Amino acid sequence: MTQKELHNQRLVKEANEKTLQFYTRRHFIKETAMGFGSLALGSLLGSCGSGTSQTNHSIAFDPAHPLAPKMPMFAARAKNVIYLHMAGAPSQLELFDYKPDLMKLDGQLCPQSLLEGKHFAFIRGVPKMLGPQAAFKQHGQSGSWVSDNMPHLASIVDEITFLKGCTTDQFNHGPAQLLVHTGGARLGRPSLGAWATYGLGTENQNLPGFVVLTSGGNFPDAGKSVWGSGFLPSVYQGVQCRTEGDPVLFIKDPKGMDRDLRKASIDAINEVNQQEYAEFKDPEILSRISQYEMAYRMQIAAPEVMNINDEPQYIHEMYGTKPGEACFANNILLARKLVEKGVRFVQLFDWGWDSHGTGADTAVDIGLINKCRQVDKSITALILDLKQRGLLEETLVVWGGEFGRTPMMENREGKPNPFKGRDHHLDAFTMWMAGGGIKKGYSYGETDEIGYYPISGKVTPFDVQATILNQLGFDHEKFTYQFQGRPFRLTDVSGEVIQDIIA
Amino acid sequence: MRFGKYKRLLIITTILIIAIAGFTYNASRQVIDFSAEVKPIINKNCITCHGGVRRQADFSLLFRSDALAKAKSGKYAIIPGDPDHSEMIRRITLKDPEERMPYKHKPLSEDQINVLRKWIKQGAQWGDHWAYVPVKEEPVPKPKASLFGLRPAKKIDWVKNDIDYFIYDKLQEENLQPSPEADKATLLRRVSLDLTGLPPSESIKQQFLQNKNTNAYEILVDSLLASPYYGEHLTAMWLDLARYADTKGYERDDSRQIWKYRDWLIKAFNNDKPYDEFLIDQLAGDLLPNATDDDFIATAFNRNTLTNDEGGTDNEEFRTAAVLDRVNTTWQALMGTTFGCVQCHSHPYDLFRHEDYYKFMAFFNDTRDEDTFDDYPLLRKYKSEDSVKLFQVINWLKQNASQEEAKRIYIFLKTWQPSINSLQADELVNSALNDTKWLVLRNHAVARLRQVDLEKKSELIFRYDGYLEGGVWTIHLDKPDGTVLKTISVAKTKGWKITSVDFPPGTGVHDLYFTYTNSDLKKPDGNGILFDWFYFTNPLEGRDKKGYDEINRMFWELLVAQVSTTPIMMDNPPDMHRASYVFERGNWLVKGEKVMPDVPRSLNPFPKNASRNRLGLAKWLTSKQNPLTARTMVNRLWEQLFGVGLVETLEDMGTQGATPTHRELLDYLAWNYMNTFNWSTKKLLKEIVMSATYMQDAKVSKENLEKDPNNKWYSRAPRVRLSAEQVRDQALAVSGLLSEKMYGPGVMPWQPAGIWKSPYNGLAWMKSEGEDQYRRSLYTYWKRSAPYPSMMTFDAASREVCTARRIRTNTPLQALVILNDSVYLEAGRHFAYRMQDETKSNNANEWISKGYEIAMLKPITQSKLKALVTLYDKAYTQFKDDKIKTADMVGDKDGQRNNPETAALIVVAGAILNLDELITKN
Repeated sequence: MTQKELHNQRLVKEANEKTLQFYTRRHFIKETAMGFGSLALGSLLGSCGSGTSQTNHSIAFDPAHPLAPKMPMFAARAKNVIYLHMAGAPSQLELFDYKPDLMKLDGQLCPQSLLEGKHFAFIRGVPKMLGPQAAFKQHGQSGSWVSDNMPHLASIVDEITFLKGCTTDQFNHGPAQLLVHTGGARLGRPSLGAWATYGLGTENQNLPGFVVLTSGGNFPDAGKSVWGSGFLPSVYQGVQCRTEGDPVLFIKDPKGMDRDLRKASIDAINEVNQQEYAEFKDPEILSRISQYEMAYRMQIAAPEVMNINDEPQYIHEMYGTKPGEACFANNILLARKLVEKGVRFVQLFDWGWDSHGTGADTAVDIGLINKCRQVDKSITALILDLKQRGLLEETLVVWGGEFGRTPMMENREGKPNPFKGRDHHLDAFTMWMAGGGIKKGYSYGETDEIGYYPISGKVTPFDVQATILNQLGFDHEKFTYQFQGRPFRLTDVSGEVIQDIIA
Repeated sequence: MRFGKYKRLLIITTILIIAIAGFTYNASRQVIDFSAEVKPIINKNCITCHGGVRRQADFSLLFRSDALAKAKSGKYAIIPGDPDHSEMIRRITLKDPEERMPYKHKPLSEDQINVLRKWIKQGAQWGDHWAYVPVKEEPVPKPKASLFGLRPAKKIDWVKNDIDYFIYDKLQEENLQPSPEADKATLLRRVSLDLTGLPPSESIKQQFLQNKNTNAYEILVDSLLASPYYGEHLTAMWLDLARYADTKGYERDDSRQIWKYRDWLIKAFNNDKPYDEFLIDQLAGDLLPNATDDDFIATAFNRNTLTNDEGGTDNEEFRTAAVLDRVNTTWQALMGTTFGCVQCHSHPYDLFRHEDYYKFMAFFNDTRDEDTFDDYPLLRKYKSEDSVKLFQVINWLKQNASQEEAKRIYIFLKTWQPSINSLQADELVNSALNDTKWLVLRNHAVARLRQVDLEKKSELIFRYDGYLEGGVWTIHLDKPDGTVLKTISVAKTKGWKITSVDFPPGTGVHDLYFTYTNSDLKKPDGNGILFDWFYFTNPLEGRDKKGYDEINRMFWELLVAQVSTTPIMMDNPPDMHRASYVFERGNWLVKGEKVMPDVPRSLNPFPKNASRNRLGLAKWLTSKQNPLTARTMVNRLWEQLFGVGLVETLEDMGTQGATPTHRELLDYLAWNYMNTFNWSTKKLLKEIVMSATYMQDAKVSKENLEKDPNNKWYSRAPRVRLSAEQVRDQALAVSGLLSEKMYGPGVMPWQPAGIWKSPYNGLAWMKSEGEDQYRRSLYTYWKRSAPYPSMMTFDAASREVCTARRIRTNTPLQALVILNDSVYLEAGRHFAYRMQDETKSNNANEWISKGYEIAMLKPITQSKLKALVTLYDKAYTQFKDDKIKTADMVGDKDGQRNNPETAALIVVAGAILNLDELITKN
């Protein structure tokens, strides 16, 4: 036996042992009965059982001023959130989770032990292992590993905390995205941004409190439900702002109606409404009057903030923006502008990260590199720009996908895919956070030699949600909304704040 | 005389003394009311730790039997009749905070402790929450004659029917006065919007406004209830409950043809189908004897659940999710109860045990639907010439074969059921579930169909797609190399094909193993044959009878005929029975004890002689003994009319729901709905809209506003913003654009570009042609992942799950919709034309006055007119010198309307469409 073979044998043996330490997905779920983590009945009850008001933080919902700024439960570390979701799930193995040992297994058949009891979206039979398709280096003071695919981001790792032990229990895009953003894999629950604006309102009453920007040519797989308001009042749903067409739906006056005339028409509407109020004394009429005034202001404010043409040239260069196009770089510059203007929650979805290897565009060594090029520079610019404006401290930036990718090469329907690709992987992926009171230059959690399972610092989507809410000043167990006769919370019955990453 | 006066005084004094004594006596002897007095204390302070989820110290206060049992300590927490020896009383009165209950919380107040003590003394009876007690006839609180009839009952002029006595009674208690009747125009608009969702037609309007008789309003109500718009309006309400949509949901969110169910609803409401039948049809129409197409289509209520087409998904997981959704929807929509809690544990507050959920689920779990791509089972609707053929085939079979055979063939031709979906195949070798939807076999494939009943069967009908010539498909019994049942040569097909093969008559139940070889398949991953479903059967009976060949030919023509389809509910036949189990902690992968279909014991008993299936369940649910069904619907209709239910939480009337403002009235109406009106929804609605309560003016005095800011006691008529559907429909109606066309597939009115962007889905929003642009909003194509945006802005539901109640909001985005959405711009233009056409005048004042009257049904006030004329003048000044702007506003460069007057009027028309009073029901 050559040294290499010996080494490989050891690796496989270790992977085997690791497997034994971790339950298969089904066992895992059966053990914990609810899907995630060691679940105490107390936390089950926290969401489901005790509706008594003294334990829950009830938010006053004023239908006349649903977005008025409100105080959080405790002092917040972050005022705003920019959440960057790479829809399709980027490969951690080509970006941040460096696995040199996986390279040594490249091309070998996957040991049966890694497949037993597993359920993959597309892998069938026995796939081959696929080594990292990128070169890695350590960067910054923190020595964080970043691949050559993200050269710009590599320069700012000292601002970032990486979460390398992320897990989920949903292996399809739609449900997994819903889980990440709404705390449930089925439709019908409010999204993170809806919860945030419900709890905190928003600073700028001339702009929506929760703005969504999409790029990559498609909406995320789960559709608009990932920024929906679920059972919360619909005013908290994300407002999609667009870089093509009207920036906000219906914001543009009809042709032939100039601003003056629009003002005159709103004045007339409100004058009649005033007379209506004088007769009926219904406070809802006053609220309508103020909403029309706000609509008028929003008609100016939204196109203004959505227009990136006025940004100085160096900013355009820094972000790599392409004015007039619906692209991620434009969206990310908009995210900065929106946060600067007091928008509470900005959610970006970029579609096209589903690197199965069924075509060149989804190959981890071709398509993925292109996707990285589309985002690397602009994300880096965002962090630096926020920092130079003094906004990074109060803005939490979150980056991630809905799950990870397998260390095996995908063999759809049992045959190797034409390009190098990886299937959906539940048990390990990487997310990162920056700003908003999160540690700088830190890495939390670790996966095994092949990036298959976390061996430390395992976190669930609920833990990430709990942490985001915590930074915004909310105890995720007490931040509830009464619906269908019981208090609901974002994190359902699970989730723990990842204390270790808080600065 | 003198004596007489003294005598009267004496009598009065005596009565007074007796009355006071009686009162005092009653006060000390008063029976504690569990629901009103004890349950709130328990729910607030005890049940979190001693309830349905947690049972600290083995003590739970949820059920009486549990509460009276020995706790972990060996002591009895409650000894009926003996508070002094009841551990619970001892613990709540202790001083030591370590031992005192509630643990680590503030001690109970003296009053609360006294209530509990007295309650135990009186026997610790468990009263039932009002909503779980059958509805009884409720006496009307009419003023009574007092002083032994010496003083006659006070007459209340305001009252119009019995409803008003209940309302008046509470108003008195709250020291409030009701409001007088609203003016005729306001009433006309209000009741028309409430009963039809639209402003009244010109003829109905004229009829009412000109009729000075006292019965004018009643005639109006009757004609509105008779209008076909009525059914459309109530259907719009019901679609939220039924989570109706034109797509399947989840990632792919592909189209689904289920609109026939929507049309069924419209007809059912318009025909005033009694509500009990209405529910029975939707829950179990398929199980009715001699079920008609309509009965089947009604069951699509429960096929509006989501289907997941995303590749790689576990079909059983999403089948299960759909079944759970049916349970939750049945409870929430039809019985105003949150049942979802019980999925994971016993209800923390209400009398439902964990296993109750799964017993109830068992009614829904044994159905044919399996999250298939095609949404099987489907009802196949034949074209009329094929319907004749179907009739002939069935008739022939009745005469020449048997009734049973005729029925079997009828069901099979109408539904392709009961067939085995190919996605049930397992033990796959060189084969796969293609995109987790269909079984595909490759060269040297093996696949298994489990437990197929072959008893006395000799034919297999199957739907498949052969990819290439020369395939050999063999069916083996019990193992991959077991006895060959049949070998079939499979040729290439052009897409899906249905065919049949015969085989030697079988016996018993077998696992069937399929093998497939094809020497032309060189690549190991090349697909040979794709299967959709398998139907094991026998050839048509009556082979020796005259005309058999003709009938058999027609049978095959029908089987593959072009049809339109609707997903329906259908139970499994006995040989496909699916057992039900408790899911431990709600996890479908962890199956606990096996359960049989049953209803919670804490409610009315299951009807005797009813079968233990969905039909029996529907009968239980619509039994007059069911405490929830009638109350839920009455409460919902009240909410539709008044903006808020008598119980605000439509979705939950349980102990955690809102307290009813007028429980007696709710029960009065529920009892009459069932017994007097025989479940006629129209009669119930008529009763409510004929009440003085409903007919009040909406103006509010400063005093009333202070005393009753939310109009909880109905001292005035409510003002409620119109629903998303109403806002758009009214604009179309006012402008004269509204199409009266009813029924049919969803339509696609104008929406901004770029709303639909689902991955892997080539669907596009194809703007409808002609009048389909202007159909009522309930016909708008509803895509779950990207619903019609302007309606979503007005709080429409995305309909992924049942929405029992829409929360109304008031936002700037709503203003932007009516100000700028092209739909409203177009409505504004036609509205302006209408003003010009109907006045035949050149005077802007007249136009605007007319416009206001068209919209609000009443003349405009001078000051409102002034505001709108000011706008007109300003606009006119602008357009007068600007041909381009004028043409843009009018939108028709070459038309005769292209003039500054019309352009200015369009701006005013747009403003009227935005008025608060227009988008509000006053």
